[in-house]
Parts: sequence; structure tokens; C-alpha cells
Amino acid sequence: MPRIQDIGAFNTVREAGLAKLTPAVPRLTVGMGTCGRGNGAEGIYHAFSEGIERSGTDIVLAPVGCFGACFQEPLVSVRLPGKPLVILRKVQANDAGRILEDVVAGNLSPDLIYCKIEAWDHLTGHVRYGEGYPEVPAWNEVPFFKSQKKIVLRNCGIINPDDIEEYIAIGGYQALYKVLIDGRPETVIEQVKAAKLRGRGGAGYLTGNKWEFLAKAKAEPKYIICNADEGDPGAYMNRNEIESDPHSLIEGMIIGAYVMGAAEGIVYVRAEYPLAVHRLNRAIEQAREYGMLGENILGRGFKFDIALVEGAGAFVCGEETALIASLEGEAGRPRPRPPFPAQKGLWGKPTNINNVETWYNIAPIVMRGAAWFTETGSPKSSGTKVFSLVGKVKNTGLVEMPLGTSLKTFIYDIGEGATAGRQVKAVQTGGPSGGCIPHDMFDTPVDYENLAQLGSIMGSGGMVVMDEDNCMVDVARYFIEFTHSESCGKCIPCRVGLNKCLRILNRVTEGAGTTHHLELLDELSRYIRDCSLCGLGQTAPNPVLTTLRHFRNEFEDHILARRCTAGVCEELALSPCENSCPLHMNIPRFLQLYKEGRLEDAFLSVILDNPLPSSTGRVCQHPCDGRCRRQTLDQSVNMREVHRFIADSIFQSDKYEAMVQAVLARKLEPTGRKIAVVGAGPAGLTAAFYLALLGHDVTVYDSQSEAGGMLRFALPEYRLPKSILRREIELIERMGVRFTLNTRVGTDVPLNDLDDRFDSIFLSIGTWKESWVYQPGTELKGVYPALNFLEAVAAGQDVSIGRRVAIIGGGNAAIDSARTALRKGAEAIVFYRRERKDMPAIEEETNAAKEEGARFVFLAAPHRVMGDAKGCVRAIEIVKTRLGAYDASGRKKPISTDEIQRFDCDSVIFAVGETVDLDFARASGLSLKENGTIEVNRFTLETSRPKFYAGGDLVTGASNVSGAMGYGKQAARNIDRHLMEAERWARLFPDVEYGQTLPEEPSPSRRHTGQELAAAVRVLSQDEVVTGLSHEAAQDEACRCLRCDVKAVNVS
Amino acid sequence: MAQKKLSIRIDGQLISAEEGQTILQAAKANGKYIPTLCALDGLTPVGACRVCLVEVSGVDRLFPACTTPIQDGMSVTTNSPRLTRYRRISVELLLIERNHVCAVCVSNGHCELQSMATAFGINTVEFAYNYPKLSLDTSHPRFVLDHNRCILCTRCVRVCAELEGAHVWDLTSRGIHARIVSEMNEKWGQATSCTSCGKCVQACPTGALAEKGWAVEEMVKNLGTVTTLVHRRGVEV
Ligand code: FES
Repeated sequence: MPRIQDIGAFNTVREAGLAKLTPAVPRLTVGMGTCGRGNGAEGIYHAFSEGIERSGTDIVLAPVGCFGACFQEPLVSVRLPGKPLVILRKVQANDAGRILEDVVAGNLSPDLIYCKIEAWDHLTGHVRYGEGYPEVPAWNEVPFFKSQKKIVLRNCGIINPDDIEEYIAIGGYQALYKVLIDGRPETVIEQVKAAKLRGRGGAGYLTGNKWEFLAKAKAEPKYIICNADEGDPGAYMNRNEIESDPHSLIEGMIIGAYVMGAAEGIVYVRAEYPLAVHRLNRAIEQAREYGMLGENILGRGFKFDIALVEGAGAFVCGEETALIASLEGEAGRPRPRPPFPAQKGLWGKPTNINNVETWYNIAPIVMRGAAWFTETGSPKSSGTKVFSLVGKVKNTGLVEMPLGTSLKTFIYDIGEGATAGRQVKAVQTGGPSGGCIPHDMFDTPVDYENLAQLGSIMGSGGMVVMDEDNCMVDVARYFIEFTHSESCGKCIPCRVGLNKCLRILNRVTEGAGTTHHLELLDELSRYIRDCSLCGLGQTAPNPVLTTLRHFRNEFEDHILARRCTAGVCEELALSPCENSCPLHMNIPRFLQLYKEGRLEDAFLSVILDNPLPSSTGRVCQHPCDGRCRRQTLDQSVNMREVHRFIADSIFQSDKYEAMVQAVLARKLEPTGRKIAVVGAGPAGLTAAFYLALLGHDVTVYDSQSEAGGMLRFALPEYRLPKSILRREIELIERMGVRFTLNTRVGTDVPLNDLDDRFDSIFLSIGTWKESWVYQPGTELKGVYPALNFLEAVAAGQDVSIGRRVAIIGGGNAAIDSARTALRKGAEAIVFYRRERKDMPAIEEETNAAKEEGARFVFLAAPHRVMGDAKGCVRAIEIVKTRLGAYDASGRKKPISTDEIQRFDCDSVIFAVGETVDLDFARASGLSLKENGTIEVNRFTLETSRPKFYAGGDLVTGASNVSGAMGYGKQAARNIDRHLMEAERWARLFPDVEYGQTLPEEPSPSRRHTGQELAAAVRVLSQDEVVTGLSHEAAQDEACRCLRCDVKAVNVS
Repeated sequence: MAQKKLSIRIDGQLISAEEGQTILQAAKANGKYIPTLCALDGLTPVGACRVCLVEVSGVDRLFPACTTPIQDGMSVTTNSPRLTRYRRISVELLLIERNHVCAVCVSNGHCELQSMATAFGINTVEFAYNYPKLSLDTSHPRFVLDHNRCILCTRCVRVCAELEGAHVWDLTSRGIHARIVSEMNEKWGQATSCTSCGKCVQACPTGALAEKGWAVEEMVKNLGTVTTLVHRRGVEV
């Protein structure tokens, strides 16, 4: 190929390239970036080429780079002549035959189709593929691409990176040609300045200013360098850009060299990127061959060449002075600036360094102009930035977005939110030296200034999404470990400071942290940030500073409660299930004891961890299920049902008496201290149980006629038979706890009275108030708050609900109401304003309600209730909703539409949430939080008034049974510690020996569940719906435990 | 050639200094003290110890006085609560990084690290000691290298390369594992390029490099010899 010297030759090459891109025969391409290859793209490519060869059909096959949708890899695209380019996803090698057959037949395999491209704007040129396939979504209609704007990635995944002619075909090297013909370097610099392009390597300096600086420098020769030393773990945009479209980089650099007057360019690329190195080398050779590099470029008399240098991949070499030192053959250690590289850079000569992505923006700016470029992005930061969106979102990959896009868009629109059953907690931007931004700040527009304000950085564009399973202390520790090991060791703050930071963080994650450590961490981090020599040190503490700022509570949990809620820090949890249990039951222990056939020991283990094991065994939200490691093998262990079985086997048998004695035997000597517990719900009962066990004299007050709170009065009989609960409360009574019922504290007994008569008071009344908003018609007869309805039914009162009942809400109370209504022979329709998957109710309950005949209407909110002349409910009007943007809960916010629907009904039950009885809270005189809950010390549960503690719903707002019991347990422990000025807690629990060997080679097995009564039968009675496990099933379940608690494995 | 004169302020005082001078040089020439550890008159400054950091008004960042050239109209503050706090932390971190046991050190009483700690009133440290296990190189007939006492100021590296021209010393490894090494990690005694001139020993601020034959407190260094030499030979910095 002779070097291109004139426009005629240029156009000939262009035509040749276009013929390859849109041939008159089918063209098949395979995404062959490192990401695609990692997913088997090479095998697919081979399968295609063999297939084509074997059949002898005329199909063009070409490798391309990556199109960005990494979660759909491997990607293959198919284009039939005159038709759109269709992208297929998750293609496997054995799909190749089928795809080829389809191509020959002129069809597409519908199951593999991801999206189509009818025409593509390469910015430097335009390609029309063709129209058709109305049923296939266009590429910018699928969520992942919808809001993306491809400027940097304009060619990636579409053209063959190994073929310069395809690059020229889409308008490549035209910008260079234009610049060379115009021959006015200063106008290009003006253009880049006017475009407000900022360096994409992280610091965000204005590229135009940097260029001008070098252009004006006097000394010769001048160097330009492309920094492709992408060292952030998880960031791979530069790799992908070079692998997919190396010529855009080369073109940008030649233009830069021309306008700045440099004769030599260097690309400093990580040696760990062999494919990028290979493709770039090949591209440089081709550029030389075609006359884009070397002497007399494009016949315009300009001389320039590019050398490629492979770096050893030290993170610190991203720092430009360290990179220069490394290029000069010295250790990659930063040098003080000034002098700046533009004054004294490589070999002491003026040098310009720009990041890969910065160079990619040059050709489009030259071709489309500065004004076009500033249309995209925010006022201070024009254009786009490529981000690598990874972590706990559904869709991951490379995402190019206008600067200034909100984090929400990234996480919820493009990433489509958290993976099933999880909630996004934070996002970490900017790689190891970036910061963590909490969920409630997701409205932040992503640009240099805004991220800096939150203590983070843009960096190279890493974006790691985290959910509840990520421990923020551990995240900070992980990044400090990384930067610490990448520190060059030259200056003290970075070398010793980071090391000290890491040691302190290690102590915290091991459970040996102190509050003083937090102060030290804070001070040390500021010191490292302010005093370090180079950018590495100056930004390295960001992860610590931001987590300390936004997630201080997690640090405190580690230090004060010795807990890692995420369950990441091993030393702080026995096992994932124990960690997730609000009562912190030693689950592996009771499973093992039961497995060993020691029912009594297992029971003692259970009851001492959880005083209501039969009840919770039925109604607990079982967070342990979601954490069980067995899920990675098959399904989680049904821990809840096993402790239900163990407890039932004792409570319902003649072993009860003996076990009562066994529990009583654990009681500590009487202390003579008197404690009042207000509220006999789950929190109060639990506190009372433990306080009695600790030897205190406990009196429980409750306004109801029976103890049990919500368990007794809100949970329907069919979920929790009252006889079961009664047996458990009986045990607590036998412990010596006295119950004063039908007594309302605050009115019947003033708080001050309690203060006089008791040494400590634990407040644990529940959330009995329905938090409904007044709506037209709510005053009608037949409108009930869900809790009142359930309570009345539980108390055996006759509530008339008529034939048809409308229930408003999506929580457990709504489902309980619906099922209760069904049992009263009525029809039940549940209206919920969001979608089914957003319902807070336990999923099994919703399913059961459905089976029993409840109807569900989603995306429907109450509009008004209509009555008849007698003031009774006649119908309800609901307004249909549609889902808008994501709200703080990570769910889409329902927005009312104009569509109103009417449903005839005889009663309406509102189950839209419960709140604390504000009257009580206010009257208590304790300090309250904004939402009306009582303010307590998170760790000790002390209120603002001495001697008074509070827990459960009063503190959290409406929650669940085990959560409330956790508070009761925590309160008992703290009250005792305070009263007795000693840590006596451990004395309650006997030492039991039990097997400590890991199960050998666990084989897949099914999770056992209780038997459900048939829907048609159960809906006719109040009988318990789910019967417990059989003895055999419980044994099997116990055996399925993987024993995460056994840590020291004997390798022998 | 006569240097252009620039006016700057140091701690409020108007000072006339020469263009091309660093803040540290300008301060010294006018009798203003800025603490330093890694800087040594006559050697290329490296900005490693960060105890010379100063504030420049109008800029948020801190600047190392030893490497920052002065600019006309610049106003420098050499002392503030923040600077003192940060300098203290730097010195404390050096003290905990390795095993500085003054009581058994040949340089006790004549050590720059020690006197700086004294000047800052550091008698206890807030951070836990690292207590690393470090070696001693006694292979050289006249000198010893004790890594326990090294603060990685690299004065030895620079004095050897820039003044003696031997370039025996260098830094190896990264981060907290960084060490001074002679030649390609050879024992000092085996380093053929070493001329045994002893400049590194004289330049070393602590007892890390010392002459053999001295007991505790006896090793008094003579920095003057190094700096005079620089000026006599007219080494350009
Ligand atoms: S004296 Fe300036 S950094 Fe050490």
C-alpha cells in the first residue's frame, strides 16, 4: 500500500473500507476485547470461521472490539445486506451453527437478540445499515444504553480495530487531514480550549490550556505522551478503548503533536494489557504504512512518530512525574512539581501528558466544533466520560455518559438497580483513591467539582456499586491496603502514614478497635491528604475520610458493638446466619446439637438465645435465609423451621416441665433490683425473660388483657396459634416475671411513679397507630385501620366486613387482613400502589393469600371511599399509578395518573403502615427524634432520662418481631451491666461441647419446608396453615448446615 | 549574571530574594528558620520528609519549602497550628516506623531526628510502634549501616551521586518496605564503586550511617565538610 499523499488516494481507501463495513453479503462480527475473550469469544470466532469455510458461503467475518455491555458478553453482531446491524448477546460457541444457518436463510435467532442499529453516527462520519426488524428494540431503547452518549466509544465494538481502512471508512483521519490542510495550529488549540475539554485521567485540568503551555514552550524537542497506565483495579476503559479503536488514539495524538509542535510521541501502556499492546502496535504499523505517521504525513510535510513503551504497571506511574521517571529508566517515583512537565519533562524537555480518553475526544472536536462539544455535559465539564460500572447492580459494563449525569441514572436506569433482594448502599467512584458516596446523595451530578465536594474524585471513572453485603470499614481497609502497597515510599505521609492507617483499620475489622482509633484515623487521613508529595498520597485517604464521614455508624458498630452488620469481618461474627439474626442466635450450634440427637441440649441452646422460639419459628422474617452460604450450593438451610420444630417438640410434650427446671437452673442469684418493663410485646417479653434470668425482680405492664402484644393481637390465629404463644409466655411467668395487665402506663400509672418504684425502666410499647392520611370517605362506617381490625378479630369480637373487602397496602398487615377477611367468608381485593416485586410483605404470605383467592390490583392508590345514604361503605375509587424515577428506598416512585377505577365493596381496610403512639411518646418527656420515635443511644438503649431505656418499635418505628426482640435482649444486657456495674451476661449461657468438624463434601440436597394445608381447606378455618417439619426433615435440614462457624480447619 | 530580585513575604516580613531561589533558600538567607530533615544545602532537594511544609496565602495546599521556587509577591507562613501539628505527626511517624532507641545509639545527642523531636516537645507518641525486624550491614571496614535508624531522607544517595560521583546508594522496594541499598543490593563491603570517602556518613542525619569504633553518643557528624565541599567545587544545584 503506497502512503496516502493526496485526497484522491484518501477517498479510494475510504471507499474500500466502506465496502468492508457494509458489504453486499452478510457480515458477522464477534466482540473480541479482553472482556469478550474472557467469555469465550475466540471459540465463537473459530466456530464461525470453520462453519463459513465448511459451507463455503459468502459471509464476511471480522473481529471487533467491545460494545460496552459486559454483562451480556459474548456479543456477536449480524448484518444482512440492506438490513440493520443486529447485536446478539450471550452467544455460545455451539450457537454458531444455528446463527450461520439463520444468516444464510436471512433470519435471526430471536432468543439471542439484544438490540439493533439502523444507522450509526461515528461523529466523524455516518453509516447507514438499513431498516427493518420492527420487533427488535433499537440499541438506544434498551435500558443499559438508553441514556448513554457515545463520543469516546463512538467506534468501539463496531469497526475492526485491526483494519485501518475500516477506520478511514467511518471518517477516521479526516480531522487530521483537515488540521494539516488548514495549517493553523493555534485555531485548534482555541477550539480545544473553547470545547472546555478536561483531562480524563482524573485531575481534570483543561486540556486546551495544557496544550497552549507546551505549544509556547521554547526548548526543542518536545514530547507528547499518552498515559495508558491504567492501574485502578476494576477500571478498564482505557484498555477497551485501545483494544477496540486504536486509531482514534493515534489520530488524536498526531493532531496534538502538530498543534503543539512535537516530533515524537510515546504511548505508555501497561504491560498487563497484551491485547491492547498488540493491537496498538499493529495500528501504528498500519498508520505508518498508510502515511499517517513518519515523514511527510498525508503529503503535508509534517513529521511525527509514535513509540510504544510498556510499563511495569505500578499504580504510582499514573502520576505524570513518576511516569516520566519510569520512561527515563529510573524507578517510578514521583518528583516534586514545579518544574512541571510542560517546562521540564521527559529528558528535561517540554512534555505534554494526556490520558487515553482525552486523546479520543480530539478528532470529534475538530470535526464537529467546540460548540457541538459543549452541548453535552455540564457547564464546567463538557463532553462525556466513560465509566466502568461494576459491583452490585444488575447491568455492568462500560458506560459513556454526559458529565453531570446524576448517580441515580447510573445505578438505577443503566445498572437497573440492585441484584434481587438487596439494596444499594453506596457507590465508590474514582478507583482506590476515590471515595464512597452514600445512597441518599445519589442525586449528585457526576462531574469533577461535585465529586470533590463529597470527598471523592472522578479518577479514571471507576464506579463500584455496593449493597448491604459490603462492609464499609472493610471497603476502606481494602483500598488503603491497595494504595499502601503501591506507595513508592519516598515521602513520610504516604509511606508511614498509610501503613499506620492500614494497621488501625485492621484492628477495627478484627474487633480490636477503640473510639480513639477513629480520631487517629481522621487526623492521620487529613495529614496524608495535605502533606503527601504526589497525587497518590494526596488522594489515598479518600476512602477512609468518606466512609468516616458517611458511614461512621458502621465504624461504631465495629468498635462499640463488635458487630459487622454486613457480615464481612470474620472475627466479628460467628457465622453469616448468626450475624444477620437480630437475636444473634447461635444457629450452627443448635443445628449441630439436634443433628447429634441431643434434643434437650438443642432446646436449651435455642431458648437461651431466643425466649420465643415457637412463635418466631412461625412468623420471623428470617433474614438468616438470605445470608446462608448454602445458597451458593443449592438452597439455604431452613433454620427457622428447625428451631420451631425443636421448640415445639419440648413445649408440646411431657419434656416441658423438665426443661422449665433446666432454664430456671440458669437463673443467677437474686439481686434485689426491681425493673419495670412497659409493653408485653416481643421486645418487652424478651427483656423480661433475660432480666429475670439475671436475677432481677421484673414487672411487666401492658394495656391489653393478655400479654403478647402484636403476637397476640395482630397476628392471625392461622399464622400463630395462640396456644403456642401462651406456652412460651407461661415459661416467662415461671421465671418469676410478674404481669400487670389492663394497665396503661402514662395514664393509669404515671412514668414518675415507675421512676420512684423501680431501679430501671424499659419502654417497649409497639406501634399501634395506623398512620393513614385522611381521604374522602375514611369517616364512613366499614373503614378500618388494619391493626384495629386484626386486633378485634384476635380478641374474638365480631367485626362486620360484609361480602367484599378492599384492602389498601402491600405489607404484612395488608396480607394478614386479606387472609383474615377470606376466612370470614368475604372476598378480598388488595390494592397496592407499586408493583408486586416492591411489596414489603413476606413473599410466602403473599403467595398463600393468592392461593386462597385474594385478588391483587397493583399500581393502584386509593382515591376516595364512597358511601350510601346510611353512611356505610359502598365502593372505593382508586387512581391508577405509573412508576416514575427511583426514590430513596431504591424503588420507583408511584405517580398518580388520571385513570380512576371504581370497585364495589362493603368495607375498606387501610394497612398503609403503623406509627408510634405519639401521645405516649410526647407525654413521656423523653427526647424524641423528628419522626416521633424516642431517641436512644444506639448501643446502650439509654434514653435522655436516667434509668429509662427504650427499644423496639418505639425506637425504630414499625419493624418486625425478631427485630423488636433483639432490642429487648440488648436492653436487658445493658440494664444489667449498668445496675450491677459488671459484665455478667456470659454467665447465663452454659458451656456445651458439640461437634466441630466440617461436613464432608456436601452433596446437593433439597430444602425442607413445612406442609401447607390445601388453600381450599384452610380458608374455611382458623387452623394453622403451615405445619412444622417432621423429625426426619428437621434432621436432614440440620445436616445441611455447612458450619460456617468452624473456622480453624485442621488440614491433616 | 545578576539574578532578578523578587519581593516576597515570609511570616509577614518583606524580603527581597533572588529569582530561582527556593522558599527555603530565601528564608535561610534572611535568617528565617524552617525545619528540614531531608534537605541538605548543596544537594538536589527531593521533598521527602515534608517537615518543611509551609503555607502560601491564597492557596489551599501546603508547599515544601525546600523544592518550591519563590514567586514575586508570594506570601509565606512558616508556622501555624496546622503546620506544627503536621510536622509533629511526620516526626512521630518516623519515630514509630523503625527502631529508634536513642539510649544505645552512637548519634545520641547529635541526631537531627532526635533534636527535632525535642524541639517539637515529643516525649510520647500517639501511634503504636511498628517494631520491624531490620538488619545491620557491618561489612564495610570503616562504616556501618543500621536500617533501624534510617529515615530514608536519601541524603546519602544524593551526596554520593552528586558530590562524590560514585552513586553507591539507592532506594529499593516500595512503600513501607523501601530500603537504602548499596549498589545492586550488594553488601556495602562488597560495593566496588564505594570510595570509602565517608560523605554519606557525614550527611546522614541520624545514626543510620556511622563510623565504626564509636560508642554511644560519640558519633558527631560534620555536616560542614559536606556543604563546604559543595560550594568549593561549585556544584550546580
Ligand atoms: S526538607 Fe523539604 S521535604 Fe524534607
